[in-house]
Amino acid sequence: MSKDTVTNKTTDWLDERLGVAKGSKKLLNKIFPDHWSFMLGEIALYSFIVLLFTGVFLTLFFVPSSKEVIYHGSYAPMRGQKVSEAYASTLNISFNVRAGLVMRQIHHWAANVFIAAIVAHMCRIFFTGAFRKPREMNWIVGVVLLILAIVNGFLGYSLPDDLISGTGIRIAFSIVLSVPVVGSYLAFLLFGGNFPGTAIIPRFYIIHVLIVPGIIIGLLGAHLAMMVRQKHTQFPGKGRTNKNVVGIPAWPAYAFQAGGFFFLTSAVLAALGGLVQINPIWLYGPYIPYKVSYAVQPDWYMGWLDGALRLMPSWEVVFAGHMIPTVFFPAVALPGVTFTVLALWPFIERRITKDNSIHNLLERPRDNPKRTAFGASVLSFYVVLFFASSTDVLANTFNTSLNFVLWTFRVLIFVVPAIVWFFTLSFAKETALVSDAGKRKRFQIISRTESGEYISTEADAYSERHEDQIRELPEALLGHHDHQGSKDLVGAQSSTHSGVRGVDAIFRDPHRSRGKDPKEASDAANA
Amino acid sequence: MKFSINAARDRLSKPFFSSIALVGIVGGIGVATFSSPSAAAAQSSYSTSSSSITYTAPPTNLVSEGKSIFEENCASCHGGLAQGSSRGPNLQGLGAATIDFWVSTGRMPLADPTIQAIQKPSRFNRQQTLAIDSYVVSKAPGGPAIPDVNLPSASLSRGESLFATNCAACHTITGAGDALANNVYAPSLMPVDATQVAEAVRTGPANMPRFGPGTLTNAQVADIVKYVMYLHHPNNAGGIALGHVGPVTEGFIGILVGLGAVMLFGFWIGGRSH
Repeated sequence: MSKDTVTNKTTDWLDERLGVAKGSKKLLNKIFPDHWSFMLGEIALYSFIVLLFTGVFLTLFFVPSSKEVIYHGSYAPMRGQKVSEAYASTLNISFNVRAGLVMRQIHHWAANVFIAAIVAHMCRIFFTGAFRKPREMNWIVGVVLLILAIVNGFLGYSLPDDLISGTGIRIAFSIVLSVPVVGSYLAFLLFGGNFPGTAIIPRFYIIHVLIVPGIIIGLLGAHLAMMVRQKHTQFPGKGRTNKNVVGIPAWPAYAFQAGGFFFLTSAVLAALGGLVQINPIWLYGPYIPYKVSYAVQPDWYMGWLDGALRLMPSWEVVFAGHMIPTVFFPAVALPGVTFTVLALWPFIERRITKDNSIHNLLERPRDNPKRTAFGASVLSFYVVLFFASSTDVLANTFNTSLNFVLWTFRVLIFVVPAIVWFFTLSFAKETALVSDAGKRKRFQIISRTESGEYISTEADAYSERHEDQIRELPEALLGHHDHQGSKDLVGAQSSTHSGVRGVDAIFRDPHRSRGKDPKEASDAANA
Repeated sequence: MKFSINAARDRLSKPFFSSIALVGIVGGIGVATFSSPSAAAAQSSYSTSSSSITYTAPPTNLVSEGKSIFEENCASCHGGLAQGSSRGPNLQGLGAATIDFWVSTGRMPLADPTIQAIQKPSRFNRQQTLAIDSYVVSKAPGGPAIPDVNLPSASLSRGESLFATNCAACHTITGAGDALANNVYAPSLMPVDATQVAEAVRTGPANMPRFGPGTLTNAQVADIVKYVMYLHHPNNAGGIALGHVGPVTEGFIGILVGLGAVMLFGFWIGGRSH
């Protein structure tokens, strides 16, 4: 059975020394359902790896200190100015360190794409109902990862100590101050005294490069481990049930697909970093508390908070004789509610649906119109907030009044989610009524009979190319896939002892088939 | 580029909330008018040439040419003697720099008195502009003359610092300009020359504050002008600059181009629905 391939030789060598055969075989045969939307989380993972590599490079040259120095570097407009060591070293990275600027830019673009990919991945999970039992815990881990990614993005954005990011820290300080009762204590604790102080940069630095990434790596491990343990979800389809996983095996198919995708992701990030300028801090100048630039926005993932701050009317709410600062509602209460509801969503939905069964088959968004409409509506709320963070840019670009733009957004923030709710709900309901909605259209051959009648027949020639490719792989490498031709595989899916390698595909229902060890099955398969 | 933006501004301009802008413009000029005695008192610091900025009065032999141009283009609002009317403010005593700024940047003659004056290609050539300047100055003395900035001797670094302190709060740190309040905006500093920047700083057109010699020395104004000139062609290391308006455009590129491209690749190599 075993051929003298490089793979076999390597695994044999390792097995004779470390006894890895059992575990690695299981891992190599692990089945990954193949759908492009399942690769969104991978984009986040690969961006994170790029962030780690470029971040390590930057730590070699960045000086996390607020100490003032006279800049004597090569950027003329700053020469002779008093700047912090953090700012001076970022200028140095940009102009004097070989490949420093491209590394900085890749790092920054990777951060933007990282969080965008997390949000896209989370939308996929939400709209397909992948968070339902048994995956609630992994959903919560994902929400925590999102929060950590946003926090770390903000910290990293603040580190160069330039005029724009310094204004952001100033806003953050005021936001912390606005927390009732404990605000001033909390702010002084975090910032090591009053703003700006000298503690911010070194503190932000150690949180940014060590503490948060460490937690992210740990949670990412847990995120992936839970996914391996619980197996993948999959879209319903031929041969796919709640108790199996149909897809391609980890080795060699998926490993190469994922490996290639890592390089593609890195290539896009490197291209952005090399071709498109991001955060030209030399044009912003050093942060000096009495200096300010107009048109200050945060990076996109903080945009919704900035937008909320802009839209909030300056109401002075008095509670029990104390005024609660206006800033508290958009900048503390809103994210608090947002992330709490987000984390608890699987439980909130179960409360509503009373659905306590295990779901390994995904729903298409149209299958659950209410959830889809709710998700789209809430998402549109945050999109409006995001756009509201650029009221000044919009007013200037479209040459209209800033106040007009502001009031437009104050109306849109209520109107858009309502419209999106009704539109999505009716659209999903209508689509559900169409019998072959979402199915790929087959080519039809129109032919004319002798009697002059036209008949249309379905053309077979254009059926799934992708499947055909997998089919050509040696059978030993095949996981379960649901092509009509492979009857033995379809049959195998109904029993635990499949008689085929790739038996890992059989989903082990944690409650029911706990006793049966799939390893026996794969041993039997090899016998 | 400049032309199309200005044309777009013209087309898009709507009289929304614009009365306040008008009040702002008129009020701004009014303030300048009221403060002209003190400006005249401080005129010595304008008129004596310093090594940083030389203030030159417009040539007096152009007064008669200026008179005819003024009567044809300006007098209907500002009056034949630049004394002002119900439609336009009194220009007497504002100084050549003020007149020169408004005319040379194309803001005057005004296209639409209900909105903030728009920068557009000037209707007059340099000599005609100087003629208008000299005619108005001939009606009443006072105010700063036309500044000529000695850029080579100015400091780019001090200019950056002064610009961040005094100008960036409205014009943004990159000089791109931005919307401020009800139809009032800080214009982009890109299409202006050194003299116009110095004129604007010294005379405070419309809503802009006036930075007199007590606030900024001639050397400091020259430093600022040098930095603004630098911003026209700044060091754009790192690739395509995204308009210098901050992280808004970067976010769009990151999401649409960055994530978008990677998702297209994923769509390419990943499976599709059955």
